[in-house]
Amino acid sequence: MLDKIFNLDYFQNQELLQVIILIFGILVFASTLFYVVGKIKPNANLSELKSRTKSWWVMAVVFLIATMFSNKISFIALGFLSFVAFRELYSILDFRNDDRYAVFWAYVAIPIQYYLAYIGWYGAYIIFIPVIMFLLLPLRLVLRGETKGIIKSMASLHWIIMLSVFGISHLAYLLSLPELPGFGAGGRGLLLFLVFLTEINDVLQFIFGKLFGKHKIIPSISPNKTWEGFLGGIIFTTVIGYFLRFLIPLPVFEAVFVSFLIAFSGFSGDIVMSSIKRDIGVKDTSNAIPGHGGVLDRIDSLSYTAPVFFHMVYFLAY
Amino acid sequence: MKKYVLRFVYSFMFRWFLKIIVGVKFDKNDFLKDLDQFVIVANHNSHLDTITLLASLPSKILHKVKPIAAGDYFGRNWFTQNLSSFFINAVLIDRKGMKENPENAPIPRMISELEMGNSLILFPEGTRGEPEELKPFKRGIALVLAKKSEVPYVPAFMSGMGKNLPKGGVIPVPFNSYIKFGQPTLVDSDDTKQIISRIQNDILQLRTE
Repeated sequence: MLDKIFNLDYFQNQELLQVIILIFGILVFASTLFYVVGKIKPNANLSELKSRTKSWWVMAVVFLIATMFSNKISFIALGFLSFVAFRELYSILDFRNDDRYAVFWAYVAIPIQYYLAYIGWYGAYIIFIPVIMFLLLPLRLVLRGETKGIIKSMASLHWIIMLSVFGISHLAYLLSLPELPGFGAGGRGLLLFLVFLTEINDVLQFIFGKLFGKHKIIPSISPNKTWEGFLGGIIFTTVIGYFLRFLIPLPVFEAVFVSFLIAFSGFSGDIVMSSIKRDIGVKDTSNAIPGHGGVLDRIDSLSYTAPVFFHMVYFLAY
Repeated sequence: MKKYVLRFVYSFMFRWFLKIIVGVKFDKNDFLKDLDQFVIVANHNSHLDTITLLASLPSKILHKVKPIAAGDYFGRNWFTQNLSSFFINAVLIDRKGMKENPENAPIPRMISELEMGNSLILFPEGTRGEPEELKPFKRGIALVLAKKSEVPYVPAFMSGMGKNLPKGGVIPVPFNSYIKFGQPTLVDSDDTKQIISRIQNDILQLRTE
């Protein structure tokens, strides 16, 4: 009975449990570190780091709860994440008042996309947004009869639904992948691997950038992105991926390559979102998560890593 | 009974709906609990404005706060009239003014509501404007505040509501919005123009903050 409500994979599955302990170990380490440094050097400005760490605690716990319960709850939670990200993008991108009718249908597409992922209908799931919504949403815009600025609306609307809904929904589809013989970690292992590596890559790039950052990569988009941070993040993320490869059904070389791709595409997603924020002149997309900005500021990398990782694994292992 | 229905509908149902689905960021307004009476003055772009204001109030005082609504719009039939007076707790006034039955004229109605000890929510623009635009204020608010100078006004500013549910819209299309409250202020002049421009400034200031 309890098994039906709770998904006790995390506690029965040694592989998943190890990574959970690792995540909370890192969080405990970070909180203790900032607490001790704060005591030794009371002048050090740690408030941003502290609020970031605090938010990481909340996000880690929410993520675990969302994936620990039944599959249904995981899909609803990830769908809600897409919804909030979509809403944030729609709100900052200066759409015309006439666009709300098409945007309404874009919102309707979110539960449909996640339902298709839930039932595991791969063929429909993979074309629903890139093909069907791509054709339908411009039609709805046209039916309003207002042509001024319509190509900008068509393009932006499709771009935001691809990024926030199609991209993120790959996280959910990982849970619908069929079981492979001899691979114990399952969809949850894949999801955990992807999310952990993406986020640790963000954190490592941030840390290496702060510690050793000198040579800027693209100062016109993000002054905080340095070669030192970029390389440090990529190297260490790839190494961590090597040690966590028991979570994914790939041989050593492929696992290392996929980890490298996660690090690289995470960086790409990050700077793509930065460039948009720069374009419209905001620092954060909202202030939903203390120290991090909006939900988008946190999942910008995921919207890139999720499709890349998913299709690599799908190609190599399934 | 009505008190608890209102609390459930606004402080619980609508508050969470607005927070989670519509994307409204609420502002702290505990200071309202300490005021005996007040008149909330806000910009008006959407039907969501009234709901958001009511949902953001401390639930203890919710039943004593009455939005002023247009009688010619909300009182157009039996159903909307009862709906708005029960579920919105609204005072329906006639925007055109009624020469033949002066007790129903807007200004005396508002003043008598204040004298009964209620607080008011007023949209001095008179009607819902285009999204994100502030129309010039009608002078009714100044007439009321000049007469009841012991009652402070509280400026409130809402952004994004007109994008969510503009005039003529039927279903809200979620858009990150926020509501902000200013400081309670007493008017210190009889000049309606001066009062109006002061309130307008207060609201615009909340927009730029």
